[in-house]
Amino acid sequence: MANDEKEPDHALELLVIRCQLGERAAFEALINQWSGLLLGHLRRVTGDINIAEDLAQDIWLGVIRGLGGLRDPAKFRPWLFGIAHRRLMDRFRDRYAAEFDPDMDMAGLVADTDSDRVRLRETLEADLGRLPLIEREALTLFHLEGLSLVETAAALDIPSGTVKSRLHRARTMLRNRLNNKENHA
Amino acid sequence: MNASTANQESLPTETLNQLLDRGLSTRARYGHVLVLLAATAMSIVVATLLVSEPNLPARTTIAFAVLLTIGLAWMVYSVWVLRNRWTLLAGHRVIAGIMAVVFSGVFTAGAASIGLTTGMTAAWLASFTGGLLLVTAVTVLVRARHFRSRLQARRAALECE
Repeated sequence: MANDEKEPDHALELLVIRCQLGERAAFEALINQWSGLLLGHLRRVTGDINIAEDLAQDIWLGVIRGLGGLRDPAKFRPWLFGIAHRRLMDRFRDRYAAEFDPDMDMAGLVADTDSDRVRLRETLEADLGRLPLIEREALTLFHLEGLSLVETAAALDIPSGTVKSRLHRARTMLRNRLNNKENHA
Repeated sequence: MNASTANQESLPTETLNQLLDRGLSTRARYGHVLVLLAATAMSIVVATLLVSEPNLPARTTIAFAVLLTIGLAWMVYSVWVLRNRWTLLAGHRVIAGIMAVVFSGVFTAGAASIGLTTGMTAAWLASFTGGLLLVTAVTVLVRARHFRSRLQARRAALECE
């Protein structure tokens, strides 16, 4: 599980500051550095490379226009994924509004163990597309993009407790799926 | 996950240049700064006329009120755009501050000269409000320069690490 206290990324902070000072070359370097990561995230969440590429360009335009308003350059990563989240919500508004299962037993969730986490990661890439969009996005940001709980909450503009709920639901769904596979194997 | 360890899927150079040309456009940014300044000046003129001219016909009062509303709406819109859609980078903020100082200085001087030559109460009111605007513009410019200096100092510190 990612730590909430991360080492400050001074190289990234310097790059963002150079962008905020108007250096075009810094923008080029920033986009080249992060485009693969962003595209991978969008592809995992949307399940469609064409939609992901289209969204990526829209997001980068939003980043270039809006970077002047980023108060803390060190917080670029959650800020970037926050823009991505809002673009995803605009594109998939109906799917985001779909209700999750209110009957799911949250109290009965099994506590995480190390072996659980290893098995969970192994199923992520294979079964991610089967998760509802809301849980898929939270899981991707936290487990695959390496954002902390606080950063994920900031990117999705929700409380940390809600992020935890979504992660628990997602993990339970994936865990159940993995158990079903093993039982039928 | 570190960005540098992810698979590199850079945007094509042409796409990147197009995005940068569009996103870094100064025309859109300074255009909205000018809209904000013009809408502010218009709102001040209309508001001072509304307040200072006695016995205005009802139709005229309504017309001035509508113009004032339009002016205020343009002010709110342009501020929203500059804070959310076309944010100002450090250098843009300084230039926008200079634009605001020059614009409000000219406005205040113009209103004061009209007040001196005609004795119109509205002109003196506009001049006084313009003066407040000028003080605000100078504050904005000072803060913009300070912000740019702070960023440059932080850049220098990080480059030395």
